Amino acid sequence: MKFTFVPEASPLEGYTIKRAIHRGGFGEVYYALSDSGKEVALKLLNNNLQVELRGVSQCLNLKHQNLVTIFDIREDRDGDHWIVMEYIGGRGLFDELQRHPNGIPIEETLQWLSGITAGLSFLHDRGIVHRDLKPANVFRDQDTVKVGDVGLSKYISESRRSAQTQSVGTVYYMAPEVCHGRYGREVDVYALGIILVEMLTGQVPFDGETTAEILMKHMTAEPDLSAVPEQLREVISAALEKDPNQRIQDVEELEHRFRDVANAMGPSDFSIPPRKRPASKRPPRPEPASQPKPRVASDLGNQSKHGPETTAVVTEYWNKLPVPVKWIVGGVVVVMVLETGLVRHLTSGASLGISVYLGYLLARHFFGSKTTVQSEPASSSQVRPPVAAVQEPGTVSVPPVTTPHQEQPGPVPQKPQRHRLGRKLGGKAVCLNPATPRVISKRHRFSDLTNSLSISLTATFLVTLGVYMTTSLLPQVVHAVYFGSVTMMGAWALMILCKIREGHTGDVMIRRLTQGMLGLGIGFLAAGLQYYLMLSGDPLFEAPKSIGASWVIGRVHIADGTGYPTMAAFMSFFGVLFAARRWWWQTDSFRTSRFRISSTLFTLLVGAVVAGILHFPGTLGATWALAISAVVQLSAGWTPPEERLPQQEIPSTNVSEAMAANMQSGEQVPAAST
Amino acid sequence: MPQFIKHSNLRTRSRVGVPSAWAPGRILPAAVATLRDLVVSNSPVKSYIMWIDGVGAWQLYAGSSFSIGAPTFESSSADVTLLANISRRHATLHYESDHWRVTADHLTTVSGRTVDSAVGLRSGDQLCLADRVKLGFRVPSKLSSSAVIDFESNHRPAHTVDGIILMVDHCLLGPRCDQHICCPDWPDIVVLYVQHGSLYCRSSLPLNVDGKLVSASFPLKHGAVVDGEGLRFRIEEIR
Repeated sequence: MKFTFVPEASPLEGYTIKRAIHRGGFGEVYYALSDSGKEVALKLLNNNLQVELRGVSQCLNLKHQNLVTIFDIREDRDGDHWIVMEYIGGRGLFDELQRHPNGIPIEETLQWLSGITAGLSFLHDRGIVHRDLKPANVFRDQDTVKVGDVGLSKYISESRRSAQTQSVGTVYYMAPEVCHGRYGREVDVYALGIILVEMLTGQVPFDGETTAEILMKHMTAEPDLSAVPEQLREVISAALEKDPNQRIQDVEELEHRFRDVANAMGPSDFSIPPRKRPASKRPPRPEPASQPKPRVASDLGNQSKHGPETTAVVTEYWNKLPVPVKWIVGGVVVVMVLETGLVRHLTSGASLGISVYLGYLLARHFFGSKTTVQSEPASSSQVRPPVAAVQEPGTVSVPPVTTPHQEQPGPVPQKPQRHRLGRKLGGKAVCLNPATPRVISKRHRFSDLTNSLSISLTATFLVTLGVYMTTSLLPQVVHAVYFGSVTMMGAWALMILCKIREGHTGDVMIRRLTQGMLGLGIGFLAAGLQYYLMLSGDPLFEAPKSIGASWVIGRVHIADGTGYPTMAAFMSFFGVLFAARRWWWQTDSFRTSRFRISSTLFTLLVGAVVAGILHFPGTLGATWALAISAVVQLSAGWTPPEERLPQQEIPSTNVSEAMAANMQSGEQVPAAST
Repeated sequence: MPQFIKHSNLRTRSRVGVPSAWAPGRILPAAVATLRDLVVSNSPVKSYIMWIDGVGAWQLYAGSSFSIGAPTFESSSADVTLLANISRRHATLHYESDHWRVTADHLTTVSGRTVDSAVGLRSGDQLCLADRVKLGFRVPSKLSSSAVIDFESNHRPAHTVDGIILMVDHCLLGPRCDQHICCPDWPDIVVLYVQHGSLYCRSSLPLNVDGKLVSASFPLKHGAVVDGEGLRFRIEEIR
């Protein structure tokens, strides 16, 4: 694991970093010494996440012996923010659980419980709910238990109970109501109940292969408490009630009831038979990568409900193919489409298909709309976006609830709104993807864009060379130069637009329209360049289908009957091509993979179809679509899934709104040695 | 690439707490082998601190006799100093003739047995100084006689470290728990040893020291930052 700062670095005046401690959910944490030798933990906040910063500010002056203390928030010379906090060198609860796979002795359990309860009570008393209570956030310094990671806490004054925009928490410890956006202090009671079971038995009560499976169990399954001593089952069950109103209402009550029963029990009552470990073992370390892949909560109820099965089968089959086979299939398809005259058939067929589909849509609009309305009440999707946008491996975030003061009546059948987020691809869930809203610093955005643009020079050259060498489309070098230039202009335009908008969410139609406008511009340049390079009338542009056919819309001549594309044809081809594809899924750092063959092939087909419809040279159009898709994917910056930092995400449809709405308290990642 | 030699060529010696049965055919870095025959001088103990990214901080003492006591402002303080209510020189751990033993100047017990003059130490023993300072003693590796001191009570040196290594031949850092410092994410083992009074490092991994690629075995100066794929640590000489 590599960390940004080397030992002896001094990004903050007065502190010298000695070593990196770990990379936590919200940033890197370092052990550092002040100039006078005071040990501190320094946490570097990723991307100046303002939301967290405000949260930490709220907690800056909270003092309690069972909470990790924050000393200060500082800004370094580069404008990055650091949290200076108490360093804790002792072994945390997570490490203790690792050391005791069959459960922690009851005396120790009671010590941990006492400290956690004191810390949580203090928070609850100040209207803050921790929301991310888990063993990895509980530490012990000397004999004092300290709760850290308060940064994910939220204020829970009664009026705001369900108004929060973000759900957090490792899924093993996540209360069922979190999936519906409700965060009372009962969430912490539930998490503490789970932790108690884990301390007693060494196992969490709800385990599974995937996040969705675990969440499902939280919501529906009864906890398996067979390994918990019989006398304690009642109090644990009361802490793990699905309905927060039925649950034990505060952590102190839980502690009292637990302690009373435990004290009345003899030592022999705690001789717990080691439970059979489930097939799915828990990850040995809390690194995000080793956690079960996060999925969208709404997947739970909709796994087999939506989506054409044939598509699913084809997708699954495609995903199962080994990568080399995908490339071979991709190459064969490209050559078949471009070299065998298949473009013409494709365009004709697609035009026919589109006409039929439009007819079907019209028919459905006029005859079938009532059924749709009945089956999906409009209010359900507007009031409560139920989808938990995956925020972090092991954590789930919920988009903002649009009616802040409305209490959640209970589980409601959920409609997937952003189901793509969690759709299984290639056997593994996509956790953070281009639809994930996140804050990206200007500096990072700029360097990403400049890198992408510079790499695109090479990528364009290679792709053009590939087309030049393998197809007969470009007979001479001048054709290749022309083709490459237009490809690069198109790729640049798309990358600049998409990278500027990366991390933001917005109306897809507006994005498409903007892309379409850019496409018009690229078409204009492509047509102009054709004249400049004296290529007009070249066989490259010949579209035999349009010979003699004239197509005039208003005063615009899309086809003038010469068989060669007009300026309008160029512009409309690129305009439609750019608007037809969601190009940001090909340029975003969080795209599924650096290069998706299926995506490229689909773009090729779209290019062929658009060209066919617009009387544009089919092979040239399809190849351009292919080339632009290939270049943008090859050059646009990409972050491997395991390096995607969930803290960059702000789970709201509008980042600024989310910032305004978030009432965060601070996060503390206390430093515990591994 | 480091020079490797078959273990079967090595001269083996029995030692307390360190089984002499070496797995036949096991391949060891040459450093491990040569250091087994290294004569540890009676020179004053050299003290280092290792800051290991993602793992922790460890204090490393190289020598053969290590005194333990409370810190003083004099030059005569003990080698291993703990912030504890113990004497300035409370007890001394010796490594002699392949055995570890402890001599006590003040009240010291070893796994419950009071130390009168000298008592042998075995891996897994608990040292208790002045009835309150509890230290674990273990020799984790079969390949080395160096010992690890764990803090079992809350008494530690002035700076928080995760443990103390008493290095009599070499110190192994690697992904396995039977190495002196367990670095779970490291791809391979890194060996530290003292030669001609200097601390050296060797590994089969390609490593950089202060940004420069180094050969298989290289000296570590004060402040050297060693990094390789998936690992980084810094060595500081304390005195």
